[in-house]
Amino acid sequence: MVTLKIDDKQVQVPEDTSILKAAEKAGIWIPTLCYSELFEPYGVCRLCVVEAVRGKRSRVVTSCNYPVREGINVLTNSPKIQWIRKTILELMLARWPNVKVVKDLARDVGVEKPRFVSLQRDEAEDACILCGKCVSVCREVVQANVLGFAYRGIKREIALPFGVQSEACIVCGACAHVCPTGHIKMVVEDYKGKKPEFTLGPKTAIYVPTLQAVPRVPVIDADSCIHFKTGGCEYCAKVCEPNAINFGMKDEVEEIEVGQILVATGFDIFDASAMAQYGYGTLDNVYSSLEFEMMLNSTGPTNGQVLTKDGREPRSVAIVHCIGSRDTNHHSYCSRVCCMYALKYAHLVHDRTKASIYQFYIDMRAFGKGYEEFYVRILDKGVKVIRGKVAEVVEAPPAQKDEGSLVVRCEDTLAGKLLEIPVDMVVLCNAIEARRDSDAVRRLFSISKSPDGFFLERHPKLDPTSTMTDGVYIAGCAQGPKDIPDVVAQASSAAARMLSFISKGEVEIDPVRAFVQEEYCSGCKICNSLCPYTAIEFLAEKKVSHVNEALCKGCGTCVAACPSSAMTGHGFTDAQILAELDGIMV
Amino acid sequence: MKRYRLQLMVCAGTGCVSNHSVEIKDALDREIEKHKLQNEAEVVFTGCNGFCGAGPIVVVQPDGVFYQLLKTADIPHLVEEHLLKGRPVKKLMYSPPAEKIPIPKMSDIPFFSDQTLIALRNRGMIDPEQIDDYIARGGYKGLVKALTMMTPDEVLKEIKSSGLRGRGGGGFPTGVKWESCKHAHGDIKHVICNADEGDPGAFMDRSIIEGDPHAVIEGMIIGAYAIEKVHQGYIYVRMEYPLAIKRFQIAIKQAREYGLLGENILDAGFTFDIDIRRGAGAFVCGESTALMASVEGKPGEPRAKYIHTVERGLWERPTCLNNVETWANVPQIILKGAQWFSSIGTGDVSADPWGGSKGTKVFSLAGKVNNTGLVEVPMGIPLRDIVFKIGGGIRDGKKFKAVQTGGPSGGFIPESLLDLPVDYEELTKVGSMMGSGGMVVTDEDNCMVDMARYFLAFTQAESCGKCTPCREGTKQMLDILDRISVGEGTEEDLVTLEDLSNVIVESSLCALGGSAPNPVLTTLKYFREEYEAHVKDKKCPSHTCRKLNTYSIDEKICLKLGHGCHVCVKHCPDAAIIGERKQVHYIDPAKCSKCGVCYDVCNFKAVQVA
Amino acid sequence: MAKLKIEDLDRIAEEARSKMTIREGAGKARITVHMGTCGIAAGARAIMSAFLDEIKAHNIKDVIITTSGCAGLCSREPMATVEFGNQAPVKYVDLTDEKARKIFKEHVLGGKFVMEYALSVGSERIR
Repeated sequence: MVTLKIDDKQVQVPEDTSILKAAEKAGIWIPTLCYSELFEPYGVCRLCVVEAVRGKRSRVVTSCNYPVREGINVLTNSPKIQWIRKTILELMLARWPNVKVVKDLARDVGVEKPRFVSLQRDEAEDACILCGKCVSVCREVVQANVLGFAYRGIKREIALPFGVQSEACIVCGACAHVCPTGHIKMVVEDYKGKKPEFTLGPKTAIYVPTLQAVPRVPVIDADSCIHFKTGGCEYCAKVCEPNAINFGMKDEVEEIEVGQILVATGFDIFDASAMAQYGYGTLDNVYSSLEFEMMLNSTGPTNGQVLTKDGREPRSVAIVHCIGSRDTNHHSYCSRVCCMYALKYAHLVHDRTKASIYQFYIDMRAFGKGYEEFYVRILDKGVKVIRGKVAEVVEAPPAQKDEGSLVVRCEDTLAGKLLEIPVDMVVLCNAIEARRDSDAVRRLFSISKSPDGFFLERHPKLDPTSTMTDGVYIAGCAQGPKDIPDVVAQASSAAARMLSFISKGEVEIDPVRAFVQEEYCSGCKICNSLCPYTAIEFLAEKKVSHVNEALCKGCGTCVAACPSSAMTGHGFTDAQILAELDGIMV
Repeated sequence: MKRYRLQLMVCAGTGCVSNHSVEIKDALDREIEKHKLQNEAEVVFTGCNGFCGAGPIVVVQPDGVFYQLLKTADIPHLVEEHLLKGRPVKKLMYSPPAEKIPIPKMSDIPFFSDQTLIALRNRGMIDPEQIDDYIARGGYKGLVKALTMMTPDEVLKEIKSSGLRGRGGGGFPTGVKWESCKHAHGDIKHVICNADEGDPGAFMDRSIIEGDPHAVIEGMIIGAYAIEKVHQGYIYVRMEYPLAIKRFQIAIKQAREYGLLGENILDAGFTFDIDIRRGAGAFVCGESTALMASVEGKPGEPRAKYIHTVERGLWERPTCLNNVETWANVPQIILKGAQWFSSIGTGDVSADPWGGSKGTKVFSLAGKVNNTGLVEVPMGIPLRDIVFKIGGGIRDGKKFKAVQTGGPSGGFIPESLLDLPVDYEELTKVGSMMGSGGMVVTDEDNCMVDMARYFLAFTQAESCGKCTPCREGTKQMLDILDRISVGEGTEEDLVTLEDLSNVIVESSLCALGGSAPNPVLTTLKYFREEYEAHVKDKKCPSHTCRKLNTYSIDEKICLKLGHGCHVCVKHCPDAAIIGERKQVHYIDPAKCSKCGVCYDVCNFKAVQVA
Repeated sequence: MAKLKIEDLDRIAEEARSKMTIREGAGKARITVHMGTCGIAAGARAIMSAFLDEIKAHNIKDVIITTSGCAGLCSREPMATVEFGNQAPVKYVDLTDEKARKIFKEHVLGGKFVMEYALSVGSERIR
């Protein structure tokens, strides 16, 4: 420990503490500009100068990086220090008369007008006060080493290597975050003319996945974490007191042996940008159903408020049904759930805003228990329900801007009228569609799919949960669009089916099935890929194929294909058949 | 080995090479062959002689006859007369200013005779590209003595008690620096030779390297041995010194071949090697922390030095940085002993290493003196002796005004302080510094405002821009000086200038900013009346600041001597001169932009300045 | 080049000694051969060669040979002046090859004046 005096106040701090830190402890304010706790003191703005007095010797030092010394008396506001600080701020004010931090600091130390001639350059170009914070944070914290200084003396400026966007920049935004003047800004650039998507992902690299997550602990998003891009930062580990941050954790592949599988891989939503007439992805305030669901969520980006992109409450909201559903150009099926969630949206928007609400539908399908009643309730609330498919959504012409930023064009087929309705927000009810990776999943489990892309059940009426492959079941929207009660019912049924096997303890199989005469098998693996039930595996150690008897349906494909006649059907060996033929001939 | 009766030492320092000394050597070789003297006379290239103002120089040994300002056309005559007939050629010798009789012998020329050579002891004596020449003059004997007869501690003690202090500018006691580095924690340490000499008009380090590279290398080996745990040294030399780099490369190669660098030097069990790092010539890279950043491959910018580089320097390892001249002094101290060294100079260093200035210092003498060049003088010699004895006084009989010491960041010392003994403390006391040893003499024709502006313009352009006071402050100072020199300055400007200068001195990050205002501060102190003339009367007393002059044409001279020659009219960019050919010319003050071209071009001095 | 031993340094220094002696202008003895037009006509060249020859033959390193112009005594050419250590310079006149070699052996190497060829001991001083 070192004992020293700061402005005649006694302070005791550990060795290697900077005077600035010690002063902070003593409750004494020293102005700083280039200092940040995030990185090593850079010591260039020279505003934090203090007098370090020992006996009769006095030395002017920068408090941010000068370590405390035993027995010194530090003067943080002596006439000499005031004189230096004022002059430095005069110099800065002469160069950056309109930069807020400089103006504020100048006012704090009592400088109004500099004695010097103005060296001001173009404000937009030169709000950089050369404090070097961005350079330090990029070098020391992010470790991307993208930013640096170029030129010297009065011409010094912040620069990227060779003045071009660097590949090494990970677009983390740390520089913009530490910049005290806003000279560095994060600009989202248009990507191929498309506006960036309304992101449903986390806003930071460390986040709690959902409030219902079990266990409810934060996770690191490796794609946006600075550490995983450059190896730097590790700031979370520095501040985490229980040392719970582990950067070494890896994704793992675990193999679990199971007897039965329920495929419940869910769905994707239809990408509405394929229907350019609705302006999704090109117009502001046109949202997909999931994005709007996110907005309504109380933990979502707007904390559950319905807001337009510029943060206002919409005056009117249009909810458009059947985007990609019941459309021969896209999906001819009905997505079944949209009508009801569209009504739910109307209900919630009505609850939370004063907006007028429009529903544009083709047919209102409020089947099921309590659904029609809900529809009636919504109608009673004054939601305008219009029968007719929306033709297009366009940006409102300037004359109509005061009514709504967008215009929805549609024919009211009941009234036989063309409508042009100004709205502030459009919510599209995207179709439910099979997942994009469903083909890969299908092949993995040897199951089929129907023409609409959803997995095919064994029987549409009598067996809607099992598949043609024994032990593989399907449930939920992987099988076809359905709402939550239907999903629960189907999944429960599948679970019951599986439990019945488990409780039985054994599996009944057909007597007719194939087997491999291992001494003849050449290990050519032709049968492996031919088997429609993936019942044949290859035993690498023996170099022969082997039939899983629980899966084999005895179809005989492999028997016919085997070039060495090693594959044989139980009860259908060549010898048996020949013997039978002999019997007939006799 | 071949024996010659004559050795012709041709100076191959950068100054003489620029003045065609290579052609001189070729001519000498040709003539010698013509007269069949090739077995009697040998022509040798040497490093810089120091008397650069007199180049190209040839010294004929053993007679010690000094020939100056040679041209290739002089050579046939010189060879025939001196080499063949033994009659030294008087007209090619040096004559002191205001005297007619030439001085034949080098040792009798005051420029040389008043110098004391330690760092430059081999100048003009050896071929710098021959290690054997260096060894013949006692080279590497200091190293042998250190390695075989002394422990590292004893070497350190010797340097410490010699009182040697850093010759690069700061004057930090070398022994103390070595000791701190020795005691610093770390298993790998480094020594660096700072050869990034960047002061305008200073060339002592270049001259030492070009003339005697092995002295620097030997010094570094001894330093590495004394500090211990040092096995790699670096020489940081600027790219603008190609000859120095070449000489170092040759010297290092030869030293390695002789086993004086590398593993197990002279079988004494000590391993050390040196590499060259080339700088891009930024002035600030002469500052130790900026230099080390540059060696590491980072931008050459200084950092706060609250943790000394002897503790955490190059790659965070303890590093001992000394400049060329300091290293070159080391072998002689070891060889001849600390007592010999400390007998030269001022003060007493036996108790306090800061107590005096010992040994010699090399200065590059430039400006308005008769003899310009490199001089090595004992510490404590009065400034007056350097200017008037060695320098031969002011050119053309003009009046001395001031001498600036210590490079662009040094201060100006007026006539009244000329009897000042040259040592670290005395120079600092009067607002200047020893610096690396630049010495610029000004005479009555120099405007002190203009001189201050010139040097500040240099430091301002060389400021790295890292810290606010130096970056913004020097620019503002320069703006004020620019205003003063065109007559737009006010008395308030002088107050601001002085105040701002003091802030920059107090608050800058490194010594560049900390000393940049020195020329301004000292001229404000000793020559304030010149500033006041600029701002009050809007006049430049020495007529250097042309915008403050008024130009007129003396009718009599114009007509009588020049017969209205019309030259000024042709050159005047403003068409401000009126007058027909063969008639008197006049300057129209309304049109005159005061560029001074008419004054420069008039062959009859008819243009008057007031 | 092989790696040096400590004693090699002295050897190198010794080998280069003659060169350095000349450059430093500080030999044990200095022989000045007067080579004005008169001297050359009278055969000073041969005298010079004789001295150089002797130096080489005896492997001498600290003797300097220089030339000078006419000494003003043209009738006694070829002439040479030998300065040995701190002794007064001795002028020899009417030299021949053999005389020169004898002077070299006795005076330059032995330090003893060769009185029979000497013109005078000591010389005029300029200024």
